[in-house]
Amino acid sequence: MTQPEDLPKDAERRLEQLEHGLFTSDLSVNEFLLIKEVGFHPLGFVMGSSIYHTGIQMRKWGQSQELTKLTEAMYNARELAMTRMEEEATELGADGVVGVRLDVNYYEWGNDAAEFIAMGTAVKAENGASYRNKAGKPFTSDLSGQDFWTIMQTGHVPQGLVMGTCVYHIAHRGLIQAIGSTGQNVELPNFTQALYEARELAMTRMQDEATELGATGIVGVRLEEKSHQWGSHTIEFLALGTAVVKTQDGVALPRPTTIISLDN
Amino acid sequence: MAEDALPEAAERRLRSGAWSSGLSSADFAACLAMGLEPVGLVQGFCVMRWGWYGTGNPYMSPWSPYASSGGRGYSEVFRCPHYGYVMSGEHRTWGQNYEQTWVEDAWHQGFGSAYARLVQEAAQAGAHGVIGVVDSVRHLSDMSVTEFHMLGTAVVVGGATHPSGAPPWTTYLAGQRLAKLIEAGFMPVSLAVAMSSVRVWAYCMTDYLMEGRNFSWGGYGAQEVDQVVRARMAVRQIARKHVRDQLGGDSLHGARMQTSGWSLAEGDEVVECTLRGTRVRRYKDFGPVVPPVPTVRLT
Amino acid sequence: MTGAEEPAPDVRAELRRAVTALASPGASGHGVTSDLSIDEALLLHSIGWEPVDLVCGVSVASVPAGVWSWGMGEIAVASDAQGLAFTGAVQRISEECRRVRGHGVVGVHVEVTVDRHHIDVELVGTAVRPVQGAEGGEVFVSDLSGRDFTLLHQAGWGPVGLAHGASFVYAPRRSAATSIRQTGANVELTNYTEAMYSARELAMERMQQTAITMRGTGIVEVKVTEGPMPFAGHAIGFSAWGTTVRLVADGHRYLQPRMVVPLDDAVVSFEAESLRG
Repeated sequence: MTQPEDLPKDAERRLEQLEHGLFTSDLSVNEFLLIKEVGFHPLGFVMGSSIYHTGIQMRKWGQSQELTKLTEAMYNARELAMTRMEEEATELGADGVVGVRLDVNYYEWGNDAAEFIAMGTAVKAENGASYRNKAGKPFTSDLSGQDFWTIMQTGHVPQGLVMGTCVYHIAHRGLIQAIGSTGQNVELPNFTQALYEARELAMTRMQDEATELGATGIVGVRLEEKSHQWGSHTIEFLALGTAVVKTQDGVALPRPTTIISLDN
Repeated sequence: MAEDALPEAAERRLRSGAWSSGLSSADFAACLAMGLEPVGLVQGFCVMRWGWYGTGNPYMSPWSPYASSGGRGYSEVFRCPHYGYVMSGEHRTWGQNYEQTWVEDAWHQGFGSAYARLVQEAAQAGAHGVIGVVDSVRHLSDMSVTEFHMLGTAVVVGGATHPSGAPPWTTYLAGQRLAKLIEAGFMPVSLAVAMSSVRVWAYCMTDYLMEGRNFSWGGYGAQEVDQVVRARMAVRQIARKHVRDQLGGDSLHGARMQTSGWSLAEGDEVVECTLRGTRVRRYKDFGPVVPPVPTVRLT
Repeated sequence: MTGAEEPAPDVRAELRRAVTALASPGASGHGVTSDLSIDEALLLHSIGWEPVDLVCGVSVASVPAGVWSWGMGEIAVASDAQGLAFTGAVQRISEECRRVRGHGVVGVHVEVTVDRHHIDVELVGTAVRPVQGAEGGEVFVSDLSGRDFTLLHQAGWGPVGLAHGASFVYAPRRSAATSIRQTGANVELTNYTEAMYSARELAMERMQQTAITMRGTGIVEVKVTEGPMPFAGHAIGFSAWGTTVRLVADGHRYLQPRMVVPLDDAVVSFEAESLRG
């Protein structure tokens, strides 16, 4: 789908510094210590970005529909950013990336383009075992240090950050018509149908990615809605989660200590 | 207003039976648990006028960098390094940093008066101490006036008698944080607050560098602006020194340092720094502290 | 102590005892000025360290005025200015720390202000030292809180200094936006990507270089900030900083945290909440 591009020269130089033993991470001290507890060591802060054209011709379409070209654009933009981040992680010899954040920035270039950034901390198992996923690439996950520790305790291993997106346009006329004809409390069936479908599409696509990775399940699913700079009738639905796979059966979890904290 | 006469309304309020307190419910409960009983809300207030220190006073006119600290306080002179150049009349051949001790004196007088009135209200109400003090300093610049206001909750220590003639102790803390402080072995004595003010009369280098005109006289490339750096370091050091002079061997807990500055024309600026905290005294040594157990919460 | 339980009677007795200390002035003699909370002071004591004094360092570096435009690459003078200002501020706070015989500074609050013609850096923190300490060597400066400093110390790590890097790039103007509109949708704008990506990487690389110079093993709690800058119409600045750390014990000491399940949550939040992002 997307071709891996060359990383900029500055990135290569920076990664070289990291390969000589220095590690960087934007993990908090808590997260750093918890990652060590499950036998991983941080390698370096990794990131990827891409500036993508996201403009659309504003038209008042007659019916609500998915804007497939835009969906593709939003997906490709994030994929590119993530792929570059993965490449940086691969360059460092990482097993995975934790704490991945996906951000979108709009700058002076107005309504037609946005910058998509993916950043996280690359980690490596200290015992030398490989934790790379089915595709042979370092796993990505938006799990925090604490969540990563918790998941590993349950005998699951992250496989990758999975996402599904759908850009949906809500028809102008349909909406006004629907509102005009009601005086009572009533569901707007067309409206409901449209937004329901959009969310389902986003989540289905996310699940497909997880299946491709051979995952057992997805944790920490988030469904976000953004209008970016298209006005309120066009919305992007983004479903994000971390796909995990069960590696050990019958893991005996240590009994958690129950505490009653008396101060909040 | 006479030194020791509080407003009539204050006297009436403090004499009445019911008390009010500025504490939140949680802090209130924590205080009662410690054995502190609120006896009333107390406040202190003072307005200082800056007439003498504003523009119009010949010492403050922009043409005269001779308004010095009169021998007291920090002062440094900077001289132009551009020898042998033909320069325009605007080239400022020398400049000075100095501590505006008169501004500091006025500020301390205003703050001190407000504080003294707060303490007096508390003493009048028979309190042993004042907790949860909130203070605010507001400039009403178009009227060259500064208001000092502080509010606190006067308390009595249950089962203890306060030495007669001794002023009530005061602190910014209340509730849980006060309890922890006391359990750790510290007793609040009073607020410790100081302010410092430094004026920068720029010389040529500062003037050019602060306007980004490096390429003319300042030399190429980015450089530190020495005069401004020294002024800003000095203002913070002076505030800390003022506070340390008030401590008398005790310590300052919960220090809060705030700096503000504003630039005047051509690289000139004024920097001010206030440092606030509670003066505390040790009454017992630290017991052995066990390192806490790290936990991960599962919610 | 927000519950309705009866508190330990100790606190009341402690308070009555504490009040008697007011009668005898200034026994200890060595005054400490600290902005640490009492919890942090206790944590420090639990590893045998103590706060010494409040210390600061500031610096102001000028940015020479100039004319920049897109495609010219990095605005080097601005990057230099921020680097200079940061280094200057760190030097001064280190000097203050040395003067009060601290071994290092924790809880440093870092403030970077980019103005039209100058970049200002202000650092404020509390100098600390081991209670039974011999004179230290190099002084460390870190933005780790007292709590994080203690945790890392228990795990065998110690802070070395503040690593920092910055880079500034010029962003395209609206006229460039028209050329963007002319290309079709669903296309990456490679020139712009390259420039922004490079600028970020450069800031990070400089930060890493400062850590290597300090002979640290790693940098934790890296903060990356970016945003439009006031000194040139369309300049974007990237800053990255964090605390450089090094293993001081023989090896990493595992803390083996306990899993706890607090039972005092009144309401169990629905998982549906998390779906909303």
